[in-house]
Amino acid sequence: MNALVSNAPAQTKAEPIDWAGKNYLVVDDFIGVRQLLREALRSLGARNIDQAASGGEAIGLLAKTRYDVVLCDFNLGDGKNGQQVLEEARVRNLLLPSSVWMMVSAEKSVESVMGAAEHQPDAYLVKPITEGVLLTRLNRAWHRKQVFRPIDQAYAEKDYLRAARLCDEQIGASRVHEVELLRMKARLMEKSGEPEKAREAYERVLNQREYQWARAGLAKIRLANGEFEAARQMFQGVIAENRYYIDAYDQLALAWQGMGKLEEACSVLERAARLSPNSVPRQRNLGLVCLKLGNVALAEKAFRKCIAVGEYSVRRTPDAYLGLARVCGLKNDPKEAQALLQAAQRDFSEAHPDIDLRAKITEGLVYHESGDYRRARKAGDELEALLGAREDRPDTETCLEMATLLFAVGVKEAPSELLCYVIRNNHDNAVLLDEVQAIFDKARLTDEGGDLIRSSKKEAADLMNQGVLLWKTGKLQEAVDWMREARARLPNNQRILFNAAQVLVSHMRERGFDEALSLEAHEVLAHVDRLQPGQQRFAQLMEQLAVLAPKAEPETPPAVDTRA
Amino acid sequence: MTPVDDPAPSQDLLLFLASTAHDMKNSISVLSGTLERLLVGAGPHPDAAYPQMAQMLYQTRRLNDNLMQLLALYKRVGTPEYPFDVQPIEAAQLLDQVVSLGRVLLDAKGIALEVEGDRDLIWHLDEDLIVGVVSHAVNNAAHYTRDRIRLALREAGGLLEIRVEDNGDGYPQPLLDAGAAGLDGAASGIDFRTNSAGLGLHFSREVARMHRHRGREGSVRLENGGAFGGGCFVLSLP
Repeated sequence: MNALVSNAPAQTKAEPIDWAGKNYLVVDDFIGVRQLLREALRSLGARNIDQAASGGEAIGLLAKTRYDVVLCDFNLGDGKNGQQVLEEARVRNLLLPSSVWMMVSAEKSVESVMGAAEHQPDAYLVKPITEGVLLTRLNRAWHRKQVFRPIDQAYAEKDYLRAARLCDEQIGASRVHEVELLRMKARLMEKSGEPEKAREAYERVLNQREYQWARAGLAKIRLANGEFEAARQMFQGVIAENRYYIDAYDQLALAWQGMGKLEEACSVLERAARLSPNSVPRQRNLGLVCLKLGNVALAEKAFRKCIAVGEYSVRRTPDAYLGLARVCGLKNDPKEAQALLQAAQRDFSEAHPDIDLRAKITEGLVYHESGDYRRARKAGDELEALLGAREDRPDTETCLEMATLLFAVGVKEAPSELLCYVIRNNHDNAVLLDEVQAIFDKARLTDEGGDLIRSSKKEAADLMNQGVLLWKTGKLQEAVDWMREARARLPNNQRILFNAAQVLVSHMRERGFDEALSLEAHEVLAHVDRLQPGQQRFAQLMEQLAVLAPKAEPETPPAVDTRA
Repeated sequence: MTPVDDPAPSQDLLLFLASTAHDMKNSISVLSGTLERLLVGAGPHPDAAYPQMAQMLYQTRRLNDNLMQLLALYKRVGTPEYPFDVQPIEAAQLLDQVVSLGRVLLDAKGIALEVEGDRDLIWHLDEDLIVGVVSHAVNNAAHYTRDRIRLALREAGGLLEIRVEDNGDGYPQPLLDAGAAGLDGAASGIDFRTNSAGLGLHFSREVARMHRHRGREGSVRLENGGAFGGGCFVLSLP
C-alpha cells in the first residue's frame, strides 16, 4: 500500500472520537450479518456490543440499556420493522439525545430518500457494510449530532426562534452542513409562523441545487397560505421530477381538498398508497376522503390496510376503526361495526380519553345511515348521558360531529350547549362561526342559534377585554388572577390563552422571575400549540419566556454508565 | 401524470427474483467480510494460499458488484423512479470510503494506491452510488494494472472529475468505443449478455447521468494514457 494513504480514514477538522468505549446494539434477523457487523465494530475497538434478532428483542434491550450507537436492519422478518423499532424507541424515550441510529438496508429504499417519515434515523447504510464505510458514516453522524445538538435542544424546548438563530450561527461554521441547517431553519420558521423567512431559507438552498424537498417546502408555504392552485402546480412539478417523493403526493392531495376536489385528492392518495402502502396516516387519510366521497369499497380497503400496517406501530390510530365501522354501517353490517367500536374503545382508551364519545357518535351515525332511527336515538341519548357525566369537552371537530348527530336524532339541548361551548372557545374564528350557524340552520334553529352565537361570543370577548384592561392599567397581579379564571372557564380559547401567557410574561418581566409562573406560562403555551401549531405568537412568547429564565448551569453530557 | 405500477403478469416472479438476489447479497457480504479478515489475519508472513485468497476476494467483490448493479438497474437507476439521494459530501469522505473498500484487496495483490485531490471540496452527489461506481472502477483497475493505481479528484470547469488510472495495458478498443458512444448519448453497442464489463460501464454511465445541475449532466469516459500510461476511468459530475 502506498504511503500516501493512511490506513484509517482521516478525521477532518475534528477531535477523533473514542469508538471503543461506546455501547452498541446490532439488530438483524440474519445471524451471519450480525456477526459481520459485530466484527466490523470490534475492529473499531468496540467492546460492548449487544445483539438482537428481532424488533421485539431490540425494544427489550433498548428499554434496559442506553446505547450510543444502534445498527438496525430495516427488514426484520415478522413483527416490527426497523423503522417501527426506531419510532417506538424515540416515542418511549429509550434513546439518549446523543445516540446515533444507523438504519441498514439491502438496498436504497424510497423511504430513506423522501424523508417524509417523522422519525428519521441519523444515517442509512446500504449493505454490504464494510469497516471503512461504517467508520466514515459513524464519524459523520457523530459530528452532525454535535452541530445539531444545541439546535435540537432548543427545538425540544419549543424555543424555535432561538433554534433558528443557532442554525444561522452554525451555517457559517460548518459548510458541509449548510444545506441541512437551512432545511432545519426553514422548518423552524414554519413552526414560528414566519413563512416569509422559511421561504428565504428554501430559496437559498435552491440557489445551490435543485433539491426537491426545498421546492416542496415552497409549495407547502403556498398551500398554508391558501394558494391551492399554485401549490398544486408546484407539487406536481416535484412529482414529475421524482415520482417517489411520496410526501409531495400527500401534500398534493391536501391542495386538491383545499379546492374542494375530493375525487382528485382521492386518486392522488390512492397512487401514493400504491407506491408506499405502509403508512398509517396515508391509509387513514385515503379512507377518510373515500368515505366523504361515498366510495365504500375503497374506504374499506384503506381502513383495513391502515389497521394491518398499524398493528406494530406506535402511530396506530382509532380513526381507522371508527371509519371502518362507518363502512360496515353503509354495507348494512351493524354487527361488525359494533365489534370494531368495541375494539377501538378497548385498544385506545388510554391514549384517547374521548374515544367513548367518538365511538358513540359513530354508533349513532351507523344506525342513522342504515335507517334504524330508534337505535340511532338511543345512541344519541347515551351520548348525552356520557357528556353529562363529565366536565371537559373533546376537540372542536368532535364537538361539531356530536352536535350534528344529536340534532339529527332529535336531541335539542345538549347540542346547543356544545355549540355554545365551541363558540366561547373560538369567539374570533369567523369560519367556524359560519360552520356552527350552518349546523343550527340544518336543525331548523336559525334564529335561536344566531342568538346563542352572539351571546356566547360576547361572553368570551368580555372576559378577555377585562383581563386586557387590568393588564394595560398595570394591575398585573389582578390581570394574572383574572386570566387564570378566564382560562378555567374557557380552556380552549386561543386568544385568551395567548393573553394569559402574555400577562404572565409581563408579570415576571416587571416583578422578577418566578418558577411557578414560568411553569404555568409554559403549560398554557404548550396547550395552545397543541390546539393549533405553527403560530407566530407562540414562537415569540416561547422566546420571551426562555430569556426570562435564570441562566442554567453549563450543560454537561451525561457521563453515567446506564448499562444494566 | 402517468399511471403507476401497471400490473405485469410476472410481478410476483420479479419480486421473488429481487428478494433472492438480496438474500444472495447477504451471503456474499458475509463471504467477502470473512475473506477480508482472513487476509488481514494472515499478517506479515502469508502462506501459499494467500494469492489464491486474494483472487477469491476479487471474484467475490465482482459478484457483489454485479449483483448490486443488477438490483439497482432492476430498480430502474437512471429513471425518475429510482430513490436518488443527492447530498453535500466532502471529497475527503468520498475518497476515504473508496480507499477503505479497496484496501485489503489491493494490499493482498501488492498494488500501490495513490490518492490525490482537494479533500476539503464539497460536492452534491448520491454518495452510495458514486462510492459504488468509483470503487468498482478501482476493483476493475486492480485486475488490469501491473502494480499501481491512481485515484484523483479535482474540480475543473464547474465539474467534479474523479479519475481512476492504472499502469496496465489500457482498455481494448471496443470498450473505448463503447465509452465514446455513451458520451454521445447513443446506444453503446455493447452486449451485456456477453460482456460483463459492459454492465459496470452501463451502470456507471446511468449513475453519472442522473447527476444533473443547471442543464448539465454527469458523464463517464474511458481513456488510455493518464499519469501511468494505462487505462483511465474518468467520472465527471456537475
